[in-house]
Amino acid sequence: MRKLLPLIILLFLQILTYAQDASTATKTSPGSNKFVVYGNAEMSFMSNSDSKGFGEVNFKPIFLWRISPKLFVEAEAEIETGEGSVNLGLEYANMNYMVNQYLTLHAGRFLPKFGAYRGRLAEGFLNRFPSNPAGFGDGGIGASVETGFGALGALPFGSMKVLYDVYVVNGSHLLTDTANAGQFDYEAYIPNNKTMAVGGRIALVPFAKSNLEVGFSYQNKSGTGDLGTVNEKVSLSMQAVDLNYFENIKPIKSTLRITGEYRHQKVGDNAVYLKADGETQYSFANSPSAWYLSGSIRPSLVDSKFFRNLEIAYRYSNYQRPKDAPWGGSNLTSNEYALDYWLHWNSLLKIAYQVKDQEPSTFYASVVFGF
Amino acid sequence: MKKLITYIVIIAIFITGGTALTGCYVSSKVANKSGAQLWGENCNRCHNAPGPGEFNNDNWDIIGTHMQIRANLTKTEVDKITEFLKSANN
Ligand code: HEC
Repeated sequence: MRKLLPLIILLFLQILTYAQDASTATKTSPGSNKFVVYGNAEMSFMSNSDSKGFGEVNFKPIFLWRISPKLFVEAEAEIETGEGSVNLGLEYANMNYMVNQYLTLHAGRFLPKFGAYRGRLAEGFLNRFPSNPAGFGDGGIGASVETGFGALGALPFGSMKVLYDVYVVNGSHLLTDTANAGQFDYEAYIPNNKTMAVGGRIALVPFAKSNLEVGFSYQNKSGTGDLGTVNEKVSLSMQAVDLNYFENIKPIKSTLRITGEYRHQKVGDNAVYLKADGETQYSFANSPSAWYLSGSIRPSLVDSKFFRNLEIAYRYSNYQRPKDAPWGGSNLTSNEYALDYWLHWNSLLKIAYQVKDQEPSTFYASVVFGF
Repeated sequence: MKKLITYIVIIAIFITGGTALTGCYVSSKVANKSGAQLWGENCNRCHNAPGPGEFNNDNWDIIGTHMQIRANLTKTEVDKITEFLKSANN
């Protein structure tokens, strides 16, 4: 750590010299409104051979303060009912300091840029489906919400842009209870030991018209188990590759969108768990991965308002679970077909049919209003 | 882990130092883009782009900053886009 100190000091000095340069900042005019609440509300319906009924109702207000051109606070609360009771969560509460054109420093609880699905393309009115791809939702893998600090920005090079994020955070907690042994709590509020996770994402926006983004994410934590337990030094390293592309195709008067992501994680093989009898120890190879690819078409350039607001989407996903984990087993694949109707740029009705391994085929519908 | 932090700090120094010394090189094709064009290209990538007239001027400033962080946009892009979005309100 001592060797690092001069480097860190150098970095801060450089940042300070930037901070002196206020020339790029646009002034907030006197009396301007600095605070606003946005967010989304969602309700869903599902029907399959096992159950039927209205399910989750979620309300997620987003609070935004632009204190000055350089200081910005964003916070999102999550009020959810999916588990049968009202669940209140702090999705994020993040303070941002806009150093200059290309650099923002931030601290708090935030959505790390790990892949592009969680925290971005999964959000209510960005996701064309009422559900998540296999391996990307509850019980899935990959970084989710983190507490710590980071730096982010974009660097233009010619007609291209390089987007970057780096962060130091508490990181995920290894779970050791019988049902979830070898899984992680990716949204912990407090640290469980003295190690921290380091992560980042580099993305390329290669075309001048900015319609393609390809990202590479990484996160590493050398110890994920609770302090003082045998698993304290069990490491976790995670990678993700994501893709997001859109194109207006004039001859068919439609907008095509393609998104996809591959994520992988490797858990140190020194992890030891206890069977349900509370005595027998066991361990297993734990390196799950998941990927999805999704495409949608919306005839957004036709004259008819009704057809212009329709969108059809298809998504394939695959979750490779560890064979011997209590939550593991064979590969899970899922095929989802959706028909959406847009009521506003950020509000829509989603109707979908899902065929997923080990689950009955399910009909889903949901309404999302962005506000 | 330590190695990784060192790499990250070095990359950060490289980024902050590099941009300080040279400013980023932007092709004239990109530099000359209008706010309307940047809006159509950048604000449609993740979701349908909200149109001019959707929010008031103060709110566009707040949204611009939120999206600058969420979508790694540069300040120049955001300023041009918000100026275009505000033009419908004036
Ligand atoms: C990288 C993907 C991405 C890009 C590019 C993007 N947005 Fe967003 N936008 C989001 C996400 C995700 C949300 C949902 C907000 C949340 O969950 O915090 C959002 C929400 C919004 C909202 C709702 C209010 C708010 O701030 O939450 C507005 C308005 C908006 N975006 C405008 C824009 C504009 C204007 C642009 C172009 C400058 C843009 N967006 C580009 C991802 C993106």
